[in-house]
Amino acid sequence: MKKVLSAILAVAMSMSMFVGCSNQSAQSQTSAAAGAADSTAAGTTATTTITHWYWADNSAYSAKMQEMVKDFNATNKSNVKVVAQEYPWDGGAYSETLFTAVVGGGGPDTSSFKLTSTPQFTANKLLANLDTYVSKWSDKDDIDSSLYDTMKQAGGSNSMYVMPWNTQVLYVYYRPSMFKAAGVTVPKTYDEFLTACKKLTRDTNGDGKTDVYGFGMRGAKGGQEPWGSFIWARGGDFTDFTSAKAVAGMQDFIDLYKKGYVPPTATTDGFNEIIANFKSGKTAMTVHHIGSSADMVKTFGDDVGAFVFPAGDKQWTSMGDTENVMFDKCKNKDAAFEWLSYLATGKGQETWCTATGNVPVSKRVQQLPVFQDNKFMKVSIEGQPHAGIFPILDTTTEWISTVWPNTVASALAGKTSAADAMKTLQKGLYGTK
Amino acid sequence: MLRKKIDIWPYLLIAPALIIILAMVFVPAFNAILMSFQSYDLRRPSEIGFVGLSNYGEVLQDSLFWESLLRTVIWVVFGVGFQFVFGFALALLLNKKFKGRGIARSVSLIPWVTPGVLIGLMWRWIYDGSYGVLNDILLKLGLIQDKIPFLAQESTAFPSVIVTIIWQGVPFFALMLLAGLQGVPGELYEAADIDGANAFQKLFKVTIPSLKNTIFVTTLLRIIWVSNSVDVIFNMTGGGPAYSTQTLSVYIFNKATSLNLGYSSTMSILLTLLLLLVAVPYLKNMFKSQGA
Repeated sequence: MKKVLSAILAVAMSMSMFVGCSNQSAQSQTSAAAGAADSTAAGTTATTTITHWYWADNSAYSAKMQEMVKDFNATNKSNVKVVAQEYPWDGGAYSETLFTAVVGGGGPDTSSFKLTSTPQFTANKLLANLDTYVSKWSDKDDIDSSLYDTMKQAGGSNSMYVMPWNTQVLYVYYRPSMFKAAGVTVPKTYDEFLTACKKLTRDTNGDGKTDVYGFGMRGAKGGQEPWGSFIWARGGDFTDFTSAKAVAGMQDFIDLYKKGYVPPTATTDGFNEIIANFKSGKTAMTVHHIGSSADMVKTFGDDVGAFVFPAGDKQWTSMGDTENVMFDKCKNKDAAFEWLSYLATGKGQETWCTATGNVPVSKRVQQLPVFQDNKFMKVSIEGQPHAGIFPILDTTTEWISTVWPNTVASALAGKTSAADAMKTLQKGLYGTK
Repeated sequence: MLRKKIDIWPYLLIAPALIIILAMVFVPAFNAILMSFQSYDLRRPSEIGFVGLSNYGEVLQDSLFWESLLRTVIWVVFGVGFQFVFGFALALLLNKKFKGRGIARSVSLIPWVTPGVLIGLMWRWIYDGSYGVLNDILLKLGLIQDKIPFLAQESTAFPSVIVTIIWQGVPFFALMLLAGLQGVPGELYEAADIDGANAFQKLFKVTIPSLKNTIFVTTLLRIIWVSNSVDVIFNMTGGGPAYSTQTLSVYIFNKATSLNLGYSSTMSILLTLLLLLVAVPYLKNMFKSQGA
């Protein structure tokens, strides 16, 4: 009897596992179906659920996104229900998480997105082609055609896979009070900028130690963006990192570290560290975009200003972008596009850009007083003619997350020369492996 | 006939566990072996296909692979070595009777039960070169004149992460060795006392020989776990600065998240083989001595 019972138990355990799998599979199917529609019943009452992924730089932006979702869900005429799920940006790891999820058959219907990830996603046929939707879209002309061209270039074809949302032009934040104390004026040339880094590095209490560093250098992931300005300022560019001019720009970057004009932690300082250092008064200048401006003003009031990274032989600043995409697996693309258009030109565009201070892509929203009267927005617009992006290749993501930070850290520590570091960076971006 | 039917019961009973292990361990492991012979880079899906031993050739010529391997050896030798030394000392201490021993035993387990990700983040802030508490303490004690960017410079980053992994693993050794200590018969110590053995002689002639098997198993487990550990280093430094904290498992992880799954699988297979090279003679020696 005991043996019979144990046999039944063993079989039951085995069965329960399969039942578990089967239930899970059924649940997966249900969730997949829910992605398409909560109800298959015909008529206007059917609710279509769209899952959207996004990242937010702080908790206020998280709340704002949820507020927008609530507004969209309440006001859209097609009974679309968006469920927005937040994932951390984590220096670009967001894109990797998103790719892993979608390529594995999961992930959301729509997502916030960076242009640099486009080749990776289009090569795996993961993104929905938006050509038909955009061509029929009534708000199409509210976005400048050049932006559509940029979106198409990123995908390497004439089709559009990425929907514009907002841009961020990097500029230099500075503390006017520190400039005054050091007798420095806002630099108008690259050489003046380098001099300012030196003069602003000060021992303020006379104990023989540096209390304020001239520049908040970002050596961790994401630091390639401000670094690019140094390369261009010496006349280099991103087609050939090994050119003498590009190497000279790298040497300037190394010298700032070696001479002690930036915090010694610069090799591992990322977004959080450069912002914390600037806000605590440890650095007098740092590079970031308008997304930080509200927080800066909250901390310093009027004692914070901004200027475009100054011109040397050439002038360049990084144009950050945040776009949106719809995935090919999305079962209800019409509903998803309605959500994306709400973000691009609708109320979502106005709400998000007003909250974050990012540069809107909608011409209508750009004209609103809140953007016209903002000093940081003015600097962003001033920097736009010089703004660009890094080459979008299938190696770009790895280059940004691993190759650039480690190679530059090695150069800053004096383990590698500027020329050798640039050779490594060239190979990492344009090489085969 | 009846006897044959009865023989099936053990297999039925282990079937659920076996099926789970096959599905969760062997299938992915087999896939990893297959991938190691393929160009499997999700950034270049059109190039996916079998390439024979090409990945192995590339990995063996990759200087970062060899640097990471050497770092893994240092990571394991110092990490596990000091975990054992401190763990053993803690076990001996906790085996003594004193007031509050129960609380001390519970508290000593905290590092072991804390998730690796949390440990990584916590120590990252402790070591922080601008706002870290360690710098603050050292400055106040007058041991340093300037703050040290522990994780931002190559010379201090790797030792710093090793200290963290030691901190994490000490309780595991202590726990296992304490269980072993409690199984050592008191008569052995009494006999040693009668023979006039001093404390060191009792330690080396009674305690350590009695714990030999526990030490072997625990050390082997830790060698495998520490070699494969990613969470602590990844959350503290990501393998930087300048790859100075990149062990082989972190390199594998970084390559995998860069979507070059063929290359990372190849390194995983090589790491597994290297661990087997350590584990098999180790276990053989252990069973041999047990037999003797």
